[in-house]
Amino acid sequence: MGELATLCAAASLAARRTTDIETAVSAPSEPSRVLASLAQHRPSLALDTLDLGFLVALHLRAQGSASTFEEATLEDVFEQVCDAIEPTAEQRKKRATYAIARLREQRLLARVDGHGVVRSGQYALTRLATGIVDFFLEEDVLTRESLTLLAASLRTTLSEVLAAARAASSPESWASKVEAPLRITAAELVAGIERRQRGLDLQQEEFQAEIRRLLEADWFGAISRCQGLLESTSATLRELGEILLRDTSILLSLLHDIEELALAAGAEAALAATARVMEQLDRIAAWGGSRQRAWSEYFQYVHRYLRDVVRLDPTRALTQRLRDQLAGTAGKPYVLALAGAAPIRLLRTVAPVVERPPVTRPKAPRDREPAEDSGEDPQAVLEERVRAALDRGASELSDVTSEVTALVPAPERFAMAGRVAHTAAQLGRASASRERPWVKIRQEMQIEDWKLGRRSGGGS
Amino acid sequence: MSRGFAMLQDVIAEAEFPELDLALRRGRHVDREDGAWYALLIDAQEHLEAFYRRYGCELIYKTDGYFYLLPVGEQLPRRHLAVTDMLVGQAMALVYLDPASVERGGVVAREQVLEQLVTAMGSDALIRAFLPKRRRHDERVAQKQVRAKLAETIRRLSALGFAELMDQEQVRLRPALLRFAEPVRGLAEPAEALARLVAQGEVALASEGGAERPGRRR
Repeated sequence: MGELATLCAAASLAARRTTDIETAVSAPSEPSRVLASLAQHRPSLALDTLDLGFLVALHLRAQGSASTFEEATLEDVFEQVCDAIEPTAEQRKKRATYAIARLREQRLLARVDGHGVVRSGQYALTRLATGIVDFFLEEDVLTRESLTLLAASLRTTLSEVLAAARAASSPESWASKVEAPLRITAAELVAGIERRQRGLDLQQEEFQAEIRRLLEADWFGAISRCQGLLESTSATLRELGEILLRDTSILLSLLHDIEELALAAGAEAALAATARVMEQLDRIAAWGGSRQRAWSEYFQYVHRYLRDVVRLDPTRALTQRLRDQLAGTAGKPYVLALAGAAPIRLLRTVAPVVERPPVTRPKAPRDREPAEDSGEDPQAVLEERVRAALDRGASELSDVTSEVTALVPAPERFAMAGRVAHTAAQLGRASASRERPWVKIRQEMQIEDWKLGRRSGGGS
Repeated sequence: MSRGFAMLQDVIAEAEFPELDLALRRGRHVDREDGAWYALLIDAQEHLEAFYRRYGCELIYKTDGYFYLLPVGEQLPRRHLAVTDMLVGQAMALVYLDPASVERGGVVAREQVLEQLVTAMGSDALIRAFLPKRRRHDERVAQKQVRAKLAETIRRLSALGFAELMDQEQVRLRPALLRFAEPVRGLAEPAEALARLVAQGEVALASEGGAERPGRRR
């Protein structure tokens, strides 16, 4: 897993150097564009230890002599790598052919002669391959010396850029004397510091693993060596933190001056380049703070462990006794006693219960006293009243309804309104627009209004 | 910076005191990771020891770097950890003692605690301990239940200051875990040490019915 993770890190580092996607990567402000470009080119890397060994061997050979290799040289180198990494490997020629093809497919090895089938080819490692090999071979770690040197170089570069910015009078001079040095020289120097920071992170991880290994190998005897490791790393981080704190403020001040001049001159590209370097510097400063805090916590933890666990149990008897206790093979089982006060009861505010009366209908006597009835047909009476209203010139249903319902008791008016509408439609000629208006009848009800006319030839 | 508290009322007037007091009374163990609480306990240790003694409690400070409240009288309720809590606590203490946990500053995966339990007890004994009422069980279901109970127990122990939950899977072990190893610690015979701790009220023997089910108090 560790190797895979390292390889992934190397791949991402190296992938930045791929020619095709270089332009996209150079615009970090648009991650979606970068990702889209990556998705379009679908770059991928798959390297096992033998492939990596092959690349490293070629890289080392290129340092000693010419940087291109003939096919025969490639096969020889592969043979040597097999001897070192897989001594039992068979069919080495065939495997070398496949390995070369694999590296070429992944753009790690390129044919550089251009003679095609005419003669055997000349090959060279690509920048991608060099990047991967550099990751495994270089041990760039941030040290007091490297940080001081890089910071001093950066300071000189920025001072020169500031002087150039003050003297710049044309867009061309802004581009060549300010923007370009910021984009290339300053950014490379800052990237150098960042790369060494990552190296230091890896080294710290190694230290932590080393402390574990020391304790596992020699429990009590490892104390002084563990303390030595902790002290040296703490001292390094402290020194680096102090340098970072001092130098970043000077560098940021120079960059602020450049930024102000660029802003005044309207040099957009220089402004963007300045902002990018400032972001990188902020990141570096933040790294210093966060690593110091994290290391301080770890430092205290390990010191406590050494003092409370290792020193008090030089023979590691405690671990064995506790294991026996847990397994139930030694001692009586026990349980710890604790304070067990119940949480304080917080009484909630109680709202008085509102008693709502039950929903009922008014009681009325079921049996009604017999009453005299005139014997008139109510529908005939209604027709009579509606016709009279129409004869009096009522032209709208609301007028007729208002007039007729006024003659009946209030509880019956709503039901009567429906009958009035029915009767009026039969006796007159109802017409209505698409949107019929709602008209109030004595604040009691609303009806949709119609126009009413006399039925031609209709009854009078 | 150390604060010199002249009187108890100065301690009680501190902003952190109410929360700290409630936490201690509920069985919380307080160590350096607790920052302001720990600083207050260190600075006001003398006043607070006398204060809690009036409630029939001892404010205990262990040289491993943690405080807790131990009721020795009747005024403040006392409870005992459940047997399963003890098993998980002891397994976590074992992981804490392991140099492998030093590499990551005491941050370990919950899985490591379970592995420790399985290694020490065996799968069957572990399932029987966590699921005592279950006579017949499907292996897969039982394992799932044990994992759930383990997570619940770690959560409970974290609330008591024995650990700190980082996320779903990670947990940071704290020095109070060494309390689980107290009877087997030191140069004395474990049986003698256990008898002394029982007499002091620090622990109770599980076989004598001292253990309670989680959440119950007496």
